[in-house]
Amino acid sequence: MKAAAPAIEMIDLCKNFGSLRAVDHLSLTVRQGEIFGLLGPNGSGKTTTINMVSGLSAPTSGQVRVMGYDVQRQARQVRQILGTVPQETALYEELTAWTNMDFHADLFGIPRREKRERITRLLELVQLLDRKDSRVGTFSGGMKRRLALARALLHDPQLIYLDEPTLGVDVQARRAIWDYILALREQGKTVLITTNYLEEAQALCERLAIIDHGKLIAVDTPDHLKQIYGGSVIELDSERPINALAEIRALPGVTDVEQEGTHLKITSQGVSNIVPQIINIITQEGELRDIAVREPNLDEIFLRLTGAELRD
Amino acid sequence: MVREPIYTLRVIWACMKKDIKSALTERAFTIISTLVPLNILILLSLFVIGGGYAPTAVVMEDTGPYAQQFYHAMSTAHSFVLQKVSAPQASSLMQSGRIVAVVTIPADFDARIRQNQPVQVGVEINNLNTDFTNDIRRAVPLSITSFYAKAFPHLVTVVPVEHDFYQQDTDYIPYLTVSILVIGMVLGGVLLSGTAAAREWEHETMKELLLSPASRWSMVVGKMLGAFVISCASLVIVLAVLIFLIGVWPVHWGEVIAFSVLTMTIFIAFGTLLGTLLKNRQPVAALAFGVSIPLFFLSGAFGPISFTTVPLQVLAQIFPIYYAIVLQQHAFHNFTLNTYGLGGNILVLCAYALALIILAAIVLRRSTTAH
Repeated sequence: MKAAAPAIEMIDLCKNFGSLRAVDHLSLTVRQGEIFGLLGPNGSGKTTTINMVSGLSAPTSGQVRVMGYDVQRQARQVRQILGTVPQETALYEELTAWTNMDFHADLFGIPRREKRERITRLLELVQLLDRKDSRVGTFSGGMKRRLALARALLHDPQLIYLDEPTLGVDVQARRAIWDYILALREQGKTVLITTNYLEEAQALCERLAIIDHGKLIAVDTPDHLKQIYGGSVIELDSERPINALAEIRALPGVTDVEQEGTHLKITSQGVSNIVPQIINIITQEGELRDIAVREPNLDEIFLRLTGAELRD
Repeated sequence: MVREPIYTLRVIWACMKKDIKSALTERAFTIISTLVPLNILILLSLFVIGGGYAPTAVVMEDTGPYAQQFYHAMSTAHSFVLQKVSAPQASSLMQSGRIVAVVTIPADFDARIRQNQPVQVGVEINNLNTDFTNDIRRAVPLSITSFYAKAFPHLVTVVPVEHDFYQQDTDYIPYLTVSILVIGMVLGGVLLSGTAAAREWEHETMKELLLSPASRWSMVVGKMLGAFVISCASLVIVLAVLIFLIGVWPVHWGEVIAFSVLTMTIFIAFGTLLGTLLKNRQPVAALAFGVSIPLFFLSGAFGPISFTTVPLQVLAQIFPIYYAIVLQQHAFHNFTLNTYGLGGNILVLCAYALALIILAAIVLRRSTTAH
């Protein structure tokens, strides 16, 4: 591992499948020690990108380096420092938790004298030690995710990739998994996450990259993304549905107006004195019952940037 | 990280152990796969036993010494399963379709023979199956010739003088069952290794293997060894039935073991390749049967392929089953069915084994979970 190198460096990365360009000149850098989120609607090229990072798929052009190692030429070194928690967990459900860990330890060449101690410690960490002899097939979704995480950490990787780490798990298990992920950063590990939950991205990631149609749309911290792309969101409830929508849309800085019954959602960009003008228009038609001004959430930013819902 | 050769051995051992454990958890499937070769052995043996001899009723209206001698000639013709019955019983058996023919030895058989008069032996044939019908049509005149050759040697002046190429005769069943042993190894090997490889894709566990730093060939070898261990169990069962129940003892025990290992290696590698390519157990199982059975019939399972047409011989020699059958027949019966010699046949099989292992490793290397 090269200490000064970025954790992941993608340089002008392209991947074609026949005539389809799944990844389109993607350049991105993930720093060592950060939790980095990769967001994009289904079919945006996230999985293809990750497959190229882990060496499962070869780029059509461009280059990927992990901790300074060229993924194509030094695949083995990359695999040694990469821990992966795939979405489907890739656990042998017919085998016990311990056997799964034991098999992984052998595949990654963990010294025999350390194997037992490491497996025990990690199963303990994810609170599955008491179920070590149970078949994985009998585990809940959350338990499987925890076990997959423990397995990915077994060979002490420097970069951990988690694909939808909390997909299909309950709220309690989600919180536990978040805690494990945040603890990884404390240990100096780099974590790459793909997720469809923006709440998750906001809670965990220091930086986010949004990709769509294989292209990088934006990359920044969640807060900065909100500032740059978000503006403000004004939500109002009036006595009756508002007719003067065209008048509101015509106000300077208003980028979007949505009405649902008596509820109105207005998105504005960069204009601070717009609220009194909106109130003025609405009160001409009837009583204003409620008003709230807030920052946009990541869902709204994502929608604005990609034109698609994240959970397409 | 442990040192390279030890690490490689560890990966091979781990993959083998894991596959055996996985197979043992799917008990029903593993038991069925292990018993498939035995099933084929029993099935084809029954086919041979049932199909080789025509059930025939003999109505002995005369029980004199010549009539008895004629009956004996029929019984040694290797074509009939005889039973002595009365005329009404024979008629009833014929009506119910349980016999192919009724041979009636007339009441004046002995008297007419003694007086050197023509005798008419009645042969009533249920000719719904040409194969059996022709057997009867060939075997009855043969029995008459044999009867005369024994009863009146001075009358039959043309006699064959047989010089055997081999010291012992090899019966149809011992020959065929050895071929069945080979097809059992082929089918068991392809089925067990193919499904083990495909299971990794079906259960999406292949990522765990592909994302590890272990070499692809060490994984392939490990997985093949897992299938090999289970296939060995299947082989032991089939061999036990072959030796202890059917009574076919090998002449060269060492060859049986060595050629079995070689044959299983080839088809386990082929199964691993198939499973990696198809990524689904159902088509693997279908292909295992779909490929093995026709190749079995093509590769000289029922008799030396050199006795057939040239195109068939050329076709058979493309596939390794042919060479495997040649070698196992030598191990069991000490004869060689082609002119390549043991070394030549072994060399061809070794080349197949090596090529398939390399191919399986390449295919696995090129495989990705995404595309």
